[in-house]
Amino acid sequence: MTGTVLAQALSQLFDAYVLWVILGSAVFGLFVGAVPGLTATMATALLVPVTFFMPPVPAIASIVTATAMAIFAGDIPSCLLRMPGTPASAAYTDEAYAMTKKGQGELALGAGLVFSVIGGLFGTAVLIAAAPALAEIALRFSSFEYFWLVVLGLASAVFLALANPLKGIVSLLAGLLVASVGLDNPAGFPRFTFGNAELAGGLTLIPIMIGMFAVSEIIRNVATIDQPWEMAQTRIGNVFNGMWQLTRRYWLSILRGSALGTAIGALPGAGADIAAWMSYAMSKRFSKEPQKFGTGHVEGIIEAGASNNSALAGAWIPALVFGIPGDSITAIVIGVLYIKGLNPGPTIFMNNAVAIYAIFMVFILANLLMLPLGWAAIKGAKQMLRAPRCVLMPAILLFCVVGSFAINNSIFGVTLMLVFGVIGYVMEENGFPIAPAILGMVLGGMLEENFISSMIKADGRLLAFFERPIAGGLGALALAVLCFPLIRRALRY
Amino acid sequence: MKRLVAALLFFAAAAAHAQYPQRPVQLIVPWGAGGGTDATARIIASLLERELKQPINVVNRTGGSGVVGHQAIASSPADGYTLGMITVEITMMHWVGLTPLTYKDYTPVGLVNADPAGIHVRVDSPYKSTKDLIAAIKATPGKMKASGTGQGGIWHLAIAGLLKDQGVEPTALPWVPSNGAAPGLQDLVAGGVDVVPCSIPEARSMIDAGKVRALAIMDANPPALYPGVPTLRKELGTDWAIAAWRVIAAPKGIPADVHKTLVNALKKVYDSKDYKDFMASRGFGVLWADPEGTAKFMAKSDSDLGAALKAVGLAK
Amino acid sequence: MKVNDAVTGVALLALAAVLLWHIQGFPEMPGQKFGPAWFPGLIAIGLGVCGARLVYAGARRRGPWMTLPEWAHGGRPLAAVASVLGGLGFYIIAADTLGFHFTALMLMALWTRLMGASWRIVVPVAVLAPIVIHLAFYKLLRIPLPWGVLERFAF
Repeated sequence: MTGTVLAQALSQLFDAYVLWVILGSAVFGLFVGAVPGLTATMATALLVPVTFFMPPVPAIASIVTATAMAIFAGDIPSCLLRMPGTPASAAYTDEAYAMTKKGQGELALGAGLVFSVIGGLFGTAVLIAAAPALAEIALRFSSFEYFWLVVLGLASAVFLALANPLKGIVSLLAGLLVASVGLDNPAGFPRFTFGNAELAGGLTLIPIMIGMFAVSEIIRNVATIDQPWEMAQTRIGNVFNGMWQLTRRYWLSILRGSALGTAIGALPGAGADIAAWMSYAMSKRFSKEPQKFGTGHVEGIIEAGASNNSALAGAWIPALVFGIPGDSITAIVIGVLYIKGLNPGPTIFMNNAVAIYAIFMVFILANLLMLPLGWAAIKGAKQMLRAPRCVLMPAILLFCVVGSFAINNSIFGVTLMLVFGVIGYVMEENGFPIAPAILGMVLGGMLEENFISSMIKADGRLLAFFERPIAGGLGALALAVLCFPLIRRALRY
Repeated sequence: MKRLVAALLFFAAAAAHAQYPQRPVQLIVPWGAGGGTDATARIIASLLERELKQPINVVNRTGGSGVVGHQAIASSPADGYTLGMITVEITMMHWVGLTPLTYKDYTPVGLVNADPAGIHVRVDSPYKSTKDLIAAIKATPGKMKASGTGQGGIWHLAIAGLLKDQGVEPTALPWVPSNGAAPGLQDLVAGGVDVVPCSIPEARSMIDAGKVRALAIMDANPPALYPGVPTLRKELGTDWAIAAWRVIAAPKGIPADVHKTLVNALKKVYDSKDYKDFMASRGFGVLWADPEGTAKFMAKSDSDLGAALKAVGLAK
Repeated sequence: MKVNDAVTGVALLALAAVLLWHIQGFPEMPGQKFGPAWFPGLIAIGLGVCGARLVYAGARRRGPWMTLPEWAHGGRPLAAVASVLGGLGFYIIAADTLGFHFTALMLMALWTRLMGASWRIVVPVAVLAPIVIHLAFYKLLRIPLPWGVLERFAF
């Protein structure tokens, strides 16, 4: 990288038009991310027609900025209303909401914001420094490796539900069962559809998530309508308070979350959602105070919040180097890259150096911009909580309805939301945690797909799951993680 | 109150007589955001918007290997305010028994694209030509694996049909179902599978990156992106050809004047430089047919693919 | 609604049995060894095992089979919960024919009123909420909210 390239890239970036595009996309991304049911992927798809008429750098900049903002903004309703704005926030929704209930909403939101920024910058640094090398490694992942990765992800459910592992496993199995509904299985056979075309399409995660988290919470809330509202969170303080201490105390968590997030993001087919789950579980596993998790403890939010934003940058690694999407967002981005003449490939760093470095700078700028804009968004969102409960609850419900509808533009989404809202409510009343069920739905399809693909490739030999070097290592790790509680229990008695 | 009702009725009557389109139009895409179908639909929508002077909203109705979206298009009101992009799968799914829907449940507006299948191997693969590859498959049945779409999908059929055509049992090359061409190509490079028979533009970035080699194209002409890739006629002397195509269609039975407006607008879009530039930049093939031609095209695809599905044992 | 773990366990066992019976009808995948029945079958076995353990745990810890929550005894809480569930059900049935705007207006009025808002709040909120959502979702995000009876006036 020569000085002239950098200077040219800088001048492309610091152009009034580009900066306006970035600002506009940032506000748009914040809005989309904060509304449950609207995902970062959707924000990207909506931006595509607009980017047709833009030069390459602002076109890509708008997508980079909007998605980074959206993934962070998902934390806001998740923390204040127990309504994850995007699936990437679902892993630590309960934790953040518990903090808000304890009166620590500022700390939860501040941590979400600041460590999203750090995670995003970390991912960007890796993208700039090591994209080609990492992409080569990511390309070595075949179904065997993915299978073990999914098993590792599922094993995190064991850690998520330490209070009652049996009920956690039931919840996880229920999630896996929900994931198996429909046509989208390796055989393409309609399972549990009873001839219904909507069911053949499968049970969509987002409406279910809105139902299980938000609607169940609303039911609980209005059931106590005669009692004063306990949401004692009226003081709007500085969300940046105490962040420096947190950084010093949890620097290892931040590093681990960012590194894992970038790695998961770089793997094609696994994105910010899975990264957040695995990081949250990892944080609990290695924490000095795991008993505090689930009661409103900031540690897991720090690690998982850093993780999902770093995954966003990580996903660009295989996308830029090989044109293989790292997640659903970059799947759309690759198309835009081609249209703008920035054909992905190892040579993109030479052939289009100026544009690529300008894009890298957009990543940095977008993440830094998240600090003031995120701060403003949090401030605005907190005003909502001042609305009386008799207005706030109906308004949230209406947003839930529209959000559940929006993901597939189908009323069936609203049905799913209602049914799973009731199921979620009953589950929690009886001590069945919701988070493992959501995890089961996120990973169910991948688990079956990669197992069946692997078995077909190996002609049914189970040993093949350990024959490839990376698969063998991951497999051993997964088995160790799964067996660890058993071994510990055996030793204790 | 009475006045209000009268005013409302007046507007209603006025609206009913006005020229189509009076309000935004939906374009349903049965596949996810980010894929080739979605990208094509979105460029067409943004260009169609200029012609029709109304917003065209692209709506992704995914799931069920395309069944859900195709069903949604067919069962929408036939008023011209819901259109859809139907894909080659509509001529395959009913043969396999996934849905009773066929291409006859739509009014075609126009064919806008077709992408022939290719044959791709890893760049370090010992097979330098289609002939070598097929000989190897024949010699070691079941050893090599192929991927690139779901079980019974278009690319599965492409390679199975070619093997059948060459007198090799299709089961000699077991299919590993995948969620589209990109995961299949990734698995090819990772060494998980040996052949990916997806379209050339889908494999383009991997070919350019020097990871994947295209052995042939299942079409009458070499691909525009890589004129050096031979046709099957040249390689094997067969005319086996198969392509994924995309058609803009409306639900069956839309008013004739609305249909005419749509056909004219779509033709203009297809002829525009913007559309051609876009398709060329993505490496997608362009192919036009008017409604009658499209109906004939789909009928031929339907019978060809049906016969192929039966021949390779994917349909009963 | 609190249910004794033993009851939940029995329900899970029953679910597992039904699943195992149902998947017997799933076909083989042509040319493949693992069919569509494999994955649900494994889940069913897991649910069955967990169900059995729940029966065991619930039987030891005696208690009523089922207790109704406090809100179900009547009054404003019951009305509020019923309006939430019933209102969502109404939306599912009515939104396509009646349209988003009317349905949302009715539901917002019902919900805000039942939860104790005065009419001076109910009316503006019920009227403004659908309009705000229309502008944000339909206009900005291009999500086709159903128009229903307002179809002719769609803009």
